[in-house]
Amino acid sequence: MKYLIFFIGSLAVALMIFLALTFSFEPGKTDELDLEKPIVVVVKATVAGQPMNFWSVVQQGINEAAKEFGVEVNITGPDHERQINRQVNILNTVIEENPPLIILAASDYYLLAESVGVAEEKGIPVITMDSAVNSPYPVSFIATNNVEAGIKAGNEMNRLLSEGGDGAIAIVSHIRETATAIEREAGVRQALEKQIITGTWYCENDQKIAYGNTMEIMKDTSVKGIVALNEIVTLGVAEAIRDSEASNRVKVVGFDSAPQELAFLEEGIIKATVVQRPYNMGYMSVKTAVEYLKGDNIAPLIDTGSVLITAENMFQREYQELLFPVNDE
Amino acid sequence: MHRLFGKLGTLESRFYLIFTLLFFATILTMQIISTRFTINSLRNSTLENNRLLVNELVNQIDTYIESMERISDAVVEDRDAQVFLESSLPESESSKFLQDRFASYIRARDDISSIVLFRQDGKAISGDGTDSSDFSEYRDSPWYQNALKAEGKTVVSTAYVQNLVPGNYSWVVSLSTQILKPRDKSPQGVLLVDLKFNRIKELCESLVIGEKGYDFIIDPMGNYVYHPSLQLIYSNLKHEPIKNLLPLLENEHPLFRVDGRNYLTAHSERTGWYVVSVSFDSDLVTGWPYVQLMNALIGLVLFLIVGMVTNFITKGITRPLRQLQSVMKSVETGEFRTAGNIDATDEIRELAREYDIMVGRIEELIDENILEQELKRKSDLKALQAQINPHFLYNTLDSIIWMGEMKKSDEVVEMTSALSRLFRIGISKGSELIKLRDELEHVRSYLTIQEMRYKNKFRYLIDIPEELMDCTVLKITLQPLVENAIYHGVRNVDYEGLIEIGGYRENEDIFLTVKDNGEGMDKTTMSALVTEDPERQQGTGVRNVHERIRLYFGHEYGLSYESTIGGGTLIRIHIPGNRSMTT
Repeated sequence: MKYLIFFIGSLAVALMIFLALTFSFEPGKTDELDLEKPIVVVVKATVAGQPMNFWSVVQQGINEAAKEFGVEVNITGPDHERQINRQVNILNTVIEENPPLIILAASDYYLLAESVGVAEEKGIPVITMDSAVNSPYPVSFIATNNVEAGIKAGNEMNRLLSEGGDGAIAIVSHIRETATAIEREAGVRQALEKQIITGTWYCENDQKIAYGNTMEIMKDTSVKGIVALNEIVTLGVAEAIRDSEASNRVKVVGFDSAPQELAFLEEGIIKATVVQRPYNMGYMSVKTAVEYLKGDNIAPLIDTGSVLITAENMFQREYQELLFPVNDE
Repeated sequence: MHRLFGKLGTLESRFYLIFTLLFFATILTMQIISTRFTINSLRNSTLENNRLLVNELVNQIDTYIESMERISDAVVEDRDAQVFLESSLPESESSKFLQDRFASYIRARDDISSIVLFRQDGKAISGDGTDSSDFSEYRDSPWYQNALKAEGKTVVSTAYVQNLVPGNYSWVVSLSTQILKPRDKSPQGVLLVDLKFNRIKELCESLVIGEKGYDFIIDPMGNYVYHPSLQLIYSNLKHEPIKNLLPLLENEHPLFRVDGRNYLTAHSERTGWYVVSVSFDSDLVTGWPYVQLMNALIGLVLFLIVGMVTNFITKGITRPLRQLQSVMKSVETGEFRTAGNIDATDEIRELAREYDIMVGRIEELIDENILEQELKRKSDLKALQAQINPHFLYNTLDSIIWMGEMKKSDEVVEMTSALSRLFRIGISKGSELIKLRDELEHVRSYLTIQEMRYKNKFRYLIDIPEELMDCTVLKITLQPLVENAIYHGVRNVDYEGLIEIGGYRENEDIFLTVKDNGEGMDKTTMSALVTEDPERQQGTGVRNVHERIRLYFGHEYGLSYESTIGGGTLIRIHIPGNRSMTT
């Protein structure tokens, strides 16, 4: 009997050691997350078929990170940035599904805060991306430092004006209550402290309204510069300038890098554009999410950076992937 | 250590422990080695396949570029192209033909982005009909400069965004060739064929290894031609070990391993590029947990078998030892068992044999000892019976002398013959046992002598049934008792003494009695007759009788006394009856 116990005991020890060996000696060891459900990203707009659209590049970055870190990521969101209520509904549905983590790009600083509160009650961690939300709950905020981006735009405007004589400056913004718009404008105003700013126009993120705004702005001939705060606004402003053949009189500094914007840039209608790194934003948001779920320490604020692109540096090798879609047909 | 072994004190558990540990260590080591070997060979074979895959990728790229080069060769040799380059006219019929031909090339090959032929004077013909005045400043472009440097050879650029026409951006790889006049090799112009980079990108993406694997392309200087996540690299979010790879590129099959990633490179001769294929160990060796589990199971089964075999062997060694041990234990109980022929190894069989010999020797010694004891006892008996009072002999001889002087010849004869009879029976062929008849004869002779010496002092009476006469008794048992009855009984009284010798049978035993009516004894005198007391000579004869009977027949036999002061003494001899005449 004594030997039988001894025998079984030693077998058990052997089994444990073998199993320990099995699970510890991993040649291709990867400490990947093993999630039951995919991480959900709620973006502002999921417009397909526009290769260089900001959000489709964000998605490329998300997919790249998902592949690299071996996690499943679902991307959802309204068709257009304007559909704030739709985004709220989508977020509420997502919260009901209890995903391990939600990455949110809030279309509205205030209107999505309530849903984030629900996520907090259910204990679902939230990471905000691109635009923040009025809640202290999100564990991290991954975005372009929009104030800094605004300062870059403002400084460039300063430089342009110093070349071609002083004048007033107008700001055309996309949506009144969006964090990106507020912060960029703040940055622009900070950089242009010593300049006269005639005012800020809001275009409801509509290119036609932006066009109209620009036409109105140009009635004031003292205006020598316009800062346009996002892609759609920049395109609207640039079209108005082109149609008025006023590119020498009114200098435009825009945001983002739609192909058409780059054409305007090369033509000289736009003098400079501040370009975010949406690819990095998507990548970093998933990377941060994975680190958070693994229990690593993560920074509460991650700046994915911005670049000032001018006609001179737009064809530099290091900005080519940033500006031009590789998979363009 | 000692305490551990103290707990595992048995040979079996020690054997088992040591064997188990040894075998476990061995199996474990073999497992690790074999697992490593399996996984390595698995990885190597996968890497070998991957190498073929990368080479295939490079071949495809080369073939692709080659087919493009053939197009540029065809253009260079085109007669219309020659005419266009020779002339200095802005428009001509041949330039129209040429443009159509370029357009048809582009239509036929959807991977060609544009074909442009630049003349020395800046005039150009393009496939899509773009006017040369639309072209941006192209003479500083790397593809143009490199074509001039290559002097007629086709130059392949890296991937970049072609901005020949403002607002029209596309990712291309440019093939540029400087066209030289066949006669004097003077430069005539440059032909540019732009390939859509997508085709190469697709090739790279189609031949990746595993879920996470990807390919990237670098030029010999280590600059990126293509990388799927170049933005991350330029933002320092991702790093490739280009510095480690560059020195390896000279090798035939460069392979660089870091952090579970394998970098396989292949050189494209046409383009000068290096295609780097990155694969992940976790993708390569997907079946490794099964390999591990399989190995663990095999190891366990081996361990089980070894365990059972060890158990069997150990038992085989210790079982005979235990057998031997139980045999040895029998000695404790006084039983001398021998081990006999134990089924065991030579050493233990030898041990058992030696043990058997030893036990045999001990038994012999014990037998010898018993024999010696017996002999000693017999010699003691002889010594005891030999003690006949010498005073009796002197006194008797004195009596005979005295009677002879008194001329009492009849009495001399009677006494002398009684003495002679006394001694004859006393010696009696050395035999210890004699018939009661003879013993009575002996005591009668003694009494005859004593009666003559102590005339009228006492008389005696022998009354024993005839049936007891042939019983055997220890010789010279009655005489010392009678002697005691005379000297301590009847001799000292002033009336006539009477000594009665009787006998009877009770059950199987025989009782002989010697009774006197003398002065009797007190208890202390009486007990002195039986207890050994070397101080007192009195009663030695009686005690000897008692001792001899007990030595010879056992302790339940012997003498018993009844005596009172003034009431005489009765001594009873208790001996077994019907004892056959032995020694």
